Amino acid sequence: MADLKIQGLAKSYKDVRVLESIDLDIASGEFFTLLGPSGCGKTTLLRTIAGFQHQDKGEIIVKGERIDNKPAHKRDIGMVFQDYAIFPHLTVAENVAFGLKARSLPKSEIEARVAESLKMVRLDGYQNRLPAEMSGGQQQRVGLARAMAIRPTLLLMDEPLSNLDAKLRIELREDIRDIQRRLGITTIYVTHDQEEALAVSDRICVMNKGNVEQIGTPFEIYRKPLRRFAAAFVGTMNFLPAQLDGGRLVVGGQSIPFPGSEGAVEVAIRPENVVLAGAGGEGDAILLKGEVRKVTFLGREAHYTLKTDVGEIVAQVADPEHDFIVMEGRQVEIRLPLNKIALFRPNGDVVKAGPAR
Amino acid sequence: MTRRIRFDLWTFVLIGAWAVLLILLVWPLSSILRASLLDNDTGAVSLIHYIEIFTTKVYQRAIGNTFIAGFGGMTGALILGVTLAFVTTRFHIYGRALIQTLAVIALVAPPFIGAYAWIVLFGASGVVRKGLASIGVSIPPLYGVAGVILVFSFKFFPHVFLITSGALGAINRSVEEAAESLGVSPMKRLFTVTLPLILPAIAASALLTFVLSIADFGTPRIIGRDFNVLATEAFNLFGGEVGGNPGMASALSIVLIILSMIIVFGQRWVLRKNVYYSNLMKKPERKHASGLKAVGLHALAYTIVLIGALPAIIVVMFSFRRTSGPVFQPGLSLQSYEKVIATVSAPIWNTLIFSSVAVVAIVISGTLIGYLISRRPNIATGALDALLMVPYIVPGIVMGIAFITRFNDPPIALTGTGLIIILAIYVRRLPYSARSVAAALKQVGPSLEDAAVSLGYSPGKAFMKVTVPLIVPGIMAGALMSFVTAMNELSSSLVLYVGSTITMPVRIYLSVMDGEYGTASALSTILLSMTAIAVYAAFHLSGRKESALL
Repeated sequence: MADLKIQGLAKSYKDVRVLESIDLDIASGEFFTLLGPSGCGKTTLLRTIAGFQHQDKGEIIVKGERIDNKPAHKRDIGMVFQDYAIFPHLTVAENVAFGLKARSLPKSEIEARVAESLKMVRLDGYQNRLPAEMSGGQQQRVGLARAMAIRPTLLLMDEPLSNLDAKLRIELREDIRDIQRRLGITTIYVTHDQEEALAVSDRICVMNKGNVEQIGTPFEIYRKPLRRFAAAFVGTMNFLPAQLDGGRLVVGGQSIPFPGSEGAVEVAIRPENVVLAGAGGEGDAILLKGEVRKVTFLGREAHYTLKTDVGEIVAQVADPEHDFIVMEGRQVEIRLPLNKIALFRPNGDVVKAGPAR
Repeated sequence: MTRRIRFDLWTFVLIGAWAVLLILLVWPLSSILRASLLDNDTGAVSLIHYIEIFTTKVYQRAIGNTFIAGFGGMTGALILGVTLAFVTTRFHIYGRALIQTLAVIALVAPPFIGAYAWIVLFGASGVVRKGLASIGVSIPPLYGVAGVILVFSFKFFPHVFLITSGALGAINRSVEEAAESLGVSPMKRLFTVTLPLILPAIAASALLTFVLSIADFGTPRIIGRDFNVLATEAFNLFGGEVGGNPGMASALSIVLIILSMIIVFGQRWVLRKNVYYSNLMKKPERKHASGLKAVGLHALAYTIVLIGALPAIIVVMFSFRRTSGPVFQPGLSLQSYEKVIATVSAPIWNTLIFSSVAVVAIVISGTLIGYLISRRPNIATGALDALLMVPYIVPGIVMGIAFITRFNDPPIALTGTGLIIILAIYVRRLPYSARSVAAALKQVGPSLEDAAVSLGYSPGKAFMKVTVPLIVPGIMAGALMSFVTAMNELSSSLVLYVGSTITMPVRIYLSVMDGEYGTASALSTILLSMTAIAVYAAFHLSGRKESALL
């Protein structure tokens, strides 16, 4: 069990700052995800923790001890790679035993741990296979078993599922989550897939351009984004231009009381919180008129793309009825409930966070 | 800033590599440049040699002839090689393994054996020529420019064949099918889609065959007669049958190097944007041709490889014939071998020892340098990579002259030792190994080594335990190519040898020049057998096929 503290970590490549003074505090046993678009610095951060790259400034502290002056092979950190990095010239068992041999464990201990690790990733009986004979999903299981076999203080995963197809991805991510919970190993997971991040994490750190945008539980990140970037990157979000003027929030021709701040803002609301007329509703809300431009039927829900004076809005309708399908071209009334919207400043800061619920 | 300068294994390798190349490449070659700029009589700096080259008829001819030999050899090899590659990768040909074996035989036979065998067949008293004359058909003896180009074409086409076969086999079939579905005829498709896609491979093999052709010394010397090229002129001027003119020899060498460099840059220019990335989905399939077409394709493929391998076959056959002086007599005999064993066994041992020592050194340093180039890209390794191109384009004669000039006196007096021959071979063949390893490393993802490090192995151990086993085929391929070319090295050894360090290629060359064809055949057969054993062993050990020769 180990906790991880990162303080003021910064790194530049030539003139480009890839990490700007990062501070993180990760609790022992936590499943912590770094989420962001490609180039946001998440992989650089992970590889710096692993010791494959070196920071210009800052400290990495595991269990109260600085590790950033240790070479990578002495950090005792397990790593799972995007391209699996399974040694193609070694059998599955030899792959898993690889790190144990570096630690000069007795042979019986190595065998026991290999068997245990392979059982954990449900690859019992694959000991003598060569990686070339296995599917991508199986190879990544070997990668996981190999990293876990050394019983590392930290487990790092660099987009481990992004080379797998959709179904396997979900299956393996559940396995990863179960194993991590069972062993209670502190895990840092890198992904650009927001759904994956929401599904597996205890906490998510949304990153952009080398900065931390927001750290929070999946619920907080999705429901109460504190930065416009986090709101836009995680899930689908509608953004409408608006104005705070004389204690009122002005959206298009509509305005409702909203005391406090002044100035230009953006209204943000999730598609599932947009209410179409006829569905009723109570409490303060922004009322808009719109035309249904496109209906996308997705099975358990349908997405309506609506054109309004203030911009395009996507509304999600759960369990769509048959007659909704023929709505294209119709005029509808749109309700944006005040307790479901968030407001962001042009600089990305939040004025009003989303619903607390 | 907590960043430290990290002194690891690779820093030492980098320093060592630079030291080796500066001492064994830059320093010797600088002597050539220096000598070319000094007046022989006064010792003053002058351009007199260069002026003389461009105003004297014989040198102008040599430059022109070098171009003719280079482009002629390149064109012939490209036509033969690409044709053979296309036929064997796109059609079902019976005996593909035999074709590849024959191509490899043509490739590994010492270059001048070809020239000599062609003389045996088509020379002034050539067997075929005489045979044809007896039935009333008269053909001119195969000397001069036509002979040189013919020998180069059939000598160097296997390089083109092996390189372009690989590229043709890696074209995504869907691309060609797409062209077909868009209504392009097969012939047009070949020229508008297929050949442009393998242009990088064609350009690479064109460069290789051009440089091999203009640097070749034995062929124009033996078969060229009055067809003088820069390499033969430089050797004559240096060798000094008529007193010698080192300044002129050096200036000719510089001109030869510059010619090669122009071609290298030309190749880079042709390829400046021809980089195709393709996720190979479907491999091209071999079609079954039928009827006359099948017969024609088989005849074409077998004619090319049989003529290519003919010199080697002829030499082996003639080594068992009875001789009387330079003249072959009817009947079989082992007398040529008896003579070789009795009088000239030293070259066999010299060749084996020199090549083996050089190759061990080449493999070790080539592997480390190859890794450095592909995995630690920076200015110092990039410049190292560029510098490694130089041995490719410096003809062996020039390298030999450079060595003998620089290593004649203290601090490094090596003239007349075996070491100087080994070092010349080493620096000339180091690029094969380094580049082969660098290419193999491209197939090994860097995260494998990271994985080993994260599991607790130091970077050096991770390299040994993970990377080296995976690039063994590349290392073997480079080692094989180095060994084969080292055993057959003529041009630099010819300048550097003394009586006690004579090697087989030099001995064969001298025998041919003296008209001792029986001895030359027997020695060539022994050399060919040694090469064949090395090739077979390398294939066997690496579990790979002919592609190991690339």
